[in-house]
Amino acid sequence: MSQINYRTINIDALDPESSANFPMESLLPATLPQAASASDAANAATQVRQMLRGGDPEGALRTVLDTAPLGGDDRAKEVHLATVIDVLQGIRQGEMTRILEGVCSGDGGAERADCLMKYLYKGMSSAAPSSGAQSPKKSVSPQDTGFSQIQARNLGEGGGGQQMSVLLSWHERLVDIAGTGSIVRVMTDRRTV
Amino acid sequence: MATPEVHHLFHAPIADHSFSSDKKTLAVARENNVELYQQSGNKFTLSDELKGHEKTVTSVDIAPNSGRIVTCSQDRNAYVWEKTPTGWKPTLVLLRINRAATFVRWSPSEQKFAVGSGARVIAVCYFEEENDWWISKHLKKPIRSTITTLAWHPNSVLLAAGSTDSHARVFSSFIKGIDTRPEPSAWGERLPFNTICGEYLNDTAGWIQGVAFSPSGNALAFTGHDSSVTVVYPSAPEQPPRAMLNIATRLLPLNSLIWNGETEIIAAGHDCEPFRFHGNENGWQLAGSLEKKAGEAGGAREESALNMFRQMDLKGQAQADTKLKSTHQNTVHTIRAHEEANGAVRSFSTSGVDGRVVIWTA
Repeated sequence: MSQINYRTINIDALDPESSANFPMESLLPATLPQAASASDAANAATQVRQMLRGGDPEGALRTVLDTAPLGGDDRAKEVHLATVIDVLQGIRQGEMTRILEGVCSGDGGAERADCLMKYLYKGMSSAAPSSGAQSPKKSVSPQDTGFSQIQARNLGEGGGGQQMSVLLSWHERLVDIAGTGSIVRVMTDRRTV
Repeated sequence: MATPEVHHLFHAPIADHSFSSDKKTLAVARENNVELYQQSGNKFTLSDELKGHEKTVTSVDIAPNSGRIVTCSQDRNAYVWEKTPTGWKPTLVLLRINRAATFVRWSPSEQKFAVGSGARVIAVCYFEEENDWWISKHLKKPIRSTITTLAWHPNSVLLAAGSTDSHARVFSSFIKGIDTRPEPSAWGERLPFNTICGEYLNDTAGWIQGVAFSPSGNALAFTGHDSSVTVVYPSAPEQPPRAMLNIATRLLPLNSLIWNGETEIIAAGHDCEPFRFHGNENGWQLAGSLEKKAGEAGGAREESALNMFRQMDLKGQAQADTKLKSTHQNTVHTIRAHEEANGAVRSFSTSGVDGRVVIWTA
């Protein structure tokens, strides 16, 4: 007789009716773009950095948000996050409001605002590259529910402090323009960045 | 705009409310009971209580013509209450569900009602003469999660449902012997029971909290936890919709919505005040709040210096602003048309967590 400890069996995984087996992909809209690869994201990054150097921060931010790899793999998403944070850090405090107003208006402006909000939260949730010592991708909830966009939070006063203050000041200005609705949509939207 | 008529009934959340057709009786779901209020003068006073449910009552609806009341609760039951000379008599409905019942509405024909539930089914209930009870048929596929809200098409056959799987769906609830065959429409021509006439997911995929058909029944609006309102115009059966318009608002999420004519939607939710949306097939936008903001001008009252320092000493703050500027003081759960004629709403009522029922002029 084999000894099975029945208490350790995850019965939710065996129950097709259980919410643990909810098909998360059913929440992705049909309009989701094709999965972008890491090299696509790197190409976009080069283009965006050129615009930033060329003195067109508004165009850079607009492009980086329009090319977000919503359907991409994790690697592409990481590369793109780094690009977005570079753009955000490359824009001076005094210009933020003017650039945001430009980016968040016109055709597709509301989507760009929502997309930027996703990047702000992702940037704040992921460990800063320079702080190093943090364990990567530790989920806060014991089971991987798939519903949380929160990863191990960057609570330390490490090298991420400066990046965090940039993200927070962008957050403040973006909430002024896009409202609390934009924050709510970061939580509901399954097209993660 | 006339000032809204506020009825502060009690200090407890109102899960749902419903007015009788003469607007003299008001039913509100309060904890495990439904309370009936009668209008006397310009106030509503408690006249009766419908007791029977063992857990929180989640929804209540009064049929406008027959006056019958249907209630459903987290105890997995629904009752139909009929007025008799000795009081209200409940009849148990066989729902056959193993999770809480979340939402109930009479069909416009009043022959049927639909109960949404956490068991991932919608029970469509009708009266069987031979056995003298209410029985149900289940709409099951392809619901993947709890049904949070329902709305009937004017033809009493099509039923819209919103769910926590972020989809709004349109089903046929045609029951032989009860319903007459509906006119063919953009939603479908032949409509046997459980035909899926539409399944919609918006890009931001929030839980759906409110659905409504337009007065003609040719458009569907739904709102959800992603702070947006989506309007769908179907084209033909089995075809993708002619237009699906999403209004992403900057507000907190909206819980409930109604149509006012074909070009206006009124919705309310966590911002504690109703908002108006205007539009048509080519585009929709938020037109603004229906709340008259009187508080802003009159809010900055003259405060004596003595009073200010006294407040700071007592409470640690100069001014105690514990009151919201809106009429409702907490989330609005339900919004219903109050007086309407040919699809145009003249007034509507809202209820919410703050125990108030408010009647607004549209």
